[in-house]
Amino acid sequence: MTAINMNNEMFEQFGDGDKPVLVDYWAPWCGYCRRISAAYDKIAEEYSDIIVAGKINIDENPQLAEAEQIEVIPTLVLYKRGKAIDSIVAPESKGVIDRFLKEALEK
Amino acid sequence: MNENHIYDIIIVGGGPGGYTAALYGARAGLDIIVLEKLSAGGQMALTHRIDNYPGFEDGIDGFSLGEKMQKQAELFGSKSEYAEAVRMDLNANPKMIETDTGVFYGKTVVIATGANPRELGIARESELIGRGVAYCAACDGMFYKDKTVAVVGGGNSAAADALLLSRIAKKVIIVHRRDTLRATKIYHEPLMNTENVEFRWNSTVAELLHEDRLTGVRLKDVVTGEKSMVQCDGLFVSVGRKPATELLNGQLELDHSGYIIAGETTQTNIPGVYAVGDVRTKLFRQVVTAVADGAMAAYMAEEYLAGDVW
Repeated sequence: MTAINMNNEMFEQFGDGDKPVLVDYWAPWCGYCRRISAAYDKIAEEYSDIIVAGKINIDENPQLAEAEQIEVIPTLVLYKRGKAIDSIVAPESKGVIDRFLKEALEK
Repeated sequence: MNENHIYDIIIVGGGPGGYTAALYGARAGLDIIVLEKLSAGGQMALTHRIDNYPGFEDGIDGFSLGEKMQKQAELFGSKSEYAEAVRMDLNANPKMIETDTGVFYGKTVVIATGANPRELGIARESELIGRGVAYCAACDGMFYKDKTVAVVGGGNSAAADALLLSRIAKKVIIVHRRDTLRATKIYHEPLMNTENVEFRWNSTVAELLHEDRLTGVRLKDVVTGEKSMVQCDGLFVSVGRKPATELLNGQLELDHSGYIIAGETTQTNIPGVYAVGDVRTKLFRQVVTAVADGAMAAYMAEEYLAGDVW
C-alpha cells in the first residue's frame, strides 16, 4: 500500500482515529521530495498495520502547511490523536526514516 | 534476505556509476546487488535538467534518468536493496558490507558512493540547515521568494544557483573569496547583467547571525581583514563537493582531498575492489564519465572472478 494523498478534511478525519498518522509534506517542484517518495511508500507499506501514512501537497493545502508550521520540505511529521509528536526534515536515507518513526512511536 | 548469500558483486551506491556497473555485470550473468540508501540517481537526482547526457536531445531530469538506469539494470537481473552501509571489511574473504538492514557478502565490491556538498565548517551551520542555511538552490530556492539570499562560492554550481535564485529572490548577494568567478565564461555575463545580483569579492563567511533562524552573515575581507555585516534570509552554500569515503576507514588509499585513488581501470589498492564515478580520482566528474567507470568496473570484476582467486 502506498501513502495516501490527503487534503485538509482527510487529515482531520484520520487525526481523530486511533492509529498514529505519519505525514510527508511535499510539493511537485521539490526534487528532494521526489527522491524520498519511493522509500516513503515502502515505509507506508511496512508500517501499514500500525500507522496511517499520508502525503500532503503544500501547494494545494497552503493553510494546512502554514497551520502546521511547515517551513521546509520534505518534512515528515508523526501525529498521535491530531497532536504532532515529532518531525524530521529531509531524511537522508530510508534507514533514517525508519529510526525516526520507531523512536517517535515510542513517545 | 539470506545473510549467508555471497554475491559476485556488491555495488555500494545507486548513482549512474553504480547502476551501469550493475547493468554490465548483470548482462555478463553475474549475481549483483546494489545497496542504495534512498533512491537511484545519486547527485544527479536533484538536477532538474541534464542536457549533456547523449541520446536525450530534449534533455532529461536527473531523477528520471536515475530511475531508468535502475530499471534497465534490474531488467537484466540486478537486485536493489534499501540499505545504508555503516561498516565495510574489504580485505575479508568474502568481502563484507554491514548496513542498517543487515550484512551483505560479496566476492567483489564496487564503491559508487559519490560525493556530497561541502560544508563551510563554521559554527551553528548544521543547526541552521532548513532555517536559512541551504545547499541546494533548486530544492529550497522557492522558500525565498521576494527575500534576500546570499550564495557562497564562485564555481559553476554557485553561479548556476545564483542565476536561479535571482529569478525567485528579491536580491542575491554572491560571496566569493577571490576577485573573480571561477565559473566558466557562459555564466559571467548573465550574472553581471542581472539587476538584483550583487557581488562581495575577496570575502569569506566568518559568522552566521541568527535568532530562531538565519538573519544575516558576518563577512571577512580576505585582503584587508575587515569585517562587515550583511542581512539575508537565506545562505546557499555552494563551495564544492566532498567524496563519501568516511566509511572506508583507511582500507583504501585516498588522495589528499579524500578521493579513492583509482585510474581508468577503476582498480583500487585492494584486489577485487573498484571505485567508480565521483568518488574516485579523476579530472572530469560527469554523468558520462561515471557510467564509463561503471562499465569498466564490471569488466574488471568479471576478469577477477574468472581468475583463480574464486
